[in-house]
Amino acid sequence: MDHGDHLCLAFADDDEQRRVVTAYVSAGIERGERVMYFADQCTPAEVLGWLSEAGVDPGPALKTGQLVVTTADETYLAAGSFDADDMVTVLRREVRESLAGGYTGFRVSGEMGWALRAVPGADRLGEYETKVNSVFAGQKASAICQYDARRFTSTQLDGFDRCHPGAVEAQPLHDDGTLRLLPSFHEGHRALRVAGSVDHRTTHALAAALDAALTWPGDIRVDMTELEFIDLAGVRVLSRRAAGLEPGRRLHVVELAPLLCQVITMVGFDETPALVVTPRRATA
Amino acid sequence: MTETLTVDPPPPHGGSLAHQALVYGSDDEFLAATVPFCLDGLEQGDAVLAVTTLRNTDLLHQALDGASAHIEFADADEWYRTPGRTLGDYYRYVDRLTGTGGHRRVRVIGEPVWTSRDALETAEWTRYEAAINVAFADCPAWIVCPYDTRVLPEGVVADARRTHPVIEVAATVLPSDHYVAPTAEGGWRRPLQPLGTDDGGIVMRFGTDLSAVRAEVAESAARMGLSEDGIRRLVFAVNEVATNAVQHGGGAGELVVRRAGRRVVCDVTSSGDNDSDWYVGYLPPDPQRQSGHGMWVVRQLCDLLEVHTGQNSTTVRLHVGLG
Repeated sequence: MDHGDHLCLAFADDDEQRRVVTAYVSAGIERGERVMYFADQCTPAEVLGWLSEAGVDPGPALKTGQLVVTTADETYLAAGSFDADDMVTVLRREVRESLAGGYTGFRVSGEMGWALRAVPGADRLGEYETKVNSVFAGQKASAICQYDARRFTSTQLDGFDRCHPGAVEAQPLHDDGTLRLLPSFHEGHRALRVAGSVDHRTTHALAAALDAALTWPGDIRVDMTELEFIDLAGVRVLSRRAAGLEPGRRLHVVELAPLLCQVITMVGFDETPALVVTPRRATA
Repeated sequence: MTETLTVDPPPPHGGSLAHQALVYGSDDEFLAATVPFCLDGLEQGDAVLAVTTLRNTDLLHQALDGASAHIEFADADEWYRTPGRTLGDYYRYVDRLTGTGGHRRVRVIGEPVWTSRDALETAEWTRYEAAINVAFADCPAWIVCPYDTRVLPEGVVADARRTHPVIEVAATVLPSDHYVAPTAEGGWRRPLQPLGTDDGGIVMRFGTDLSAVRAEVAESAARMGLSEDGIRRLVFAVNEVATNAVQHGGGAGELVVRRAGRRVVCDVTSSGDNDSDWYVGYLPPDPQRQSGHGMWVVRQLCDLLEVHTGQNSTTVRLHVGLG
């Protein structure tokens, strides 16, 4: 997380949200930045509890005003509606005043679940998310917007994700420097992201990560955008896991290099009905 | 007119494949054999595919008249690009037509391309013709391979008698006296030929870390002028062969990459008792199996592939053309 970042945190389990929020807020306090947190599904007490349990006493920061933990309802939604332009103005002012007040930076995080309620102006959230990029870009300030993937539809999630210049990375299921396997999102759907190379030494890691991903509900997505290499044994793992799915579920391998799509056809893995392969879009 | 269409049934020689060479020296001889073969096939409900020259395709169209609409035609120059890919294409065709296509059997007129092949290509296409006997042994396919004595070198026609169990000459169909089965001891084994290399090339030993192998192949092949697509194919193929070497061939191996003429050639050598048949990778894979698909894919990704088992080592030589 760097100054200037405006990241989307799409999460589908509470531990993931808690881990990211705790790390983000406590690092801000430690670095002498001003930190604002707008809760929605959680209560401010819960969020403060996460800090305490992680060994960070929020008391002193709360007392000086370095840390503010409040709710969206009590602040920018207090008037009963959401005004995107007002909110951008408020954030600009907070950044300016925090830096003028001697803080080393400004960071803010908000739970965005309120957008699913009938709040007037909530339909302009996407517009706001786009505008807010300019508030943080090039500033000693950053933001993480939290979207609970279990509550937003994949279309909504994909839309909001696209408004952000970046996304918060989840903790990898595997990372050995050559291959990273991490829970992620692809077009608003939960996905297992495969980054790096799969060969005979890491086939088992791919299999284990897939098994973890198979516990997610619905179809499974494997995002190969950052795949550098996969051998046939790795492809076979994908095919076998797809073949083993219960009826109605499918394994989507997306953004796969064209050569590997050919290989899948050569071996006949394309005849596995539950395996759906989408080739990587040409970049040349 | 049906009595003129009688064709000898496929001679039994084990499995359900019939693979015969048709040696012909005139258009009439070509048509006298292939037209009844096609018509009889259609009558029996077989799928019929004719892969031949444009000239022979025209001849067949005229002679078959309306019936040619029920036959699938392919241009031999397009179809016979590399032995591995061609065999894979044939296999998928037979599988599709006899599987979901609902045909009991597939008949193929398959006229390989021999002109404009260099010595190595000719040798490998000959071995391909031999490999068909084992690769399709259990396939319900009747394959007739025409050999045109007007244009082919004598050696190629002579080899047709070694690669086909059955031979048809001047309307006479007989078992070939010279047939050599793919599995025959020593019959099709051939030591790797020395390469006239234009490039010093590289030699490296490898162990279980194959990322170094992939990087070396990619870098060398790029330096030697291989296309992006060629590099990706070669890297994938070498990685599969090297994986076999590491997992079944004593845990280590040696890689040699060099340029020879218009090809980049990689040798992957492993020690141990990895007693591979020369036709490994020509046998179609069963997707349900846990392993054994690697060499099938390697054959189809490479332009030529030679597998040679020596006393205490196996060398797989992969060729990818510079295009």
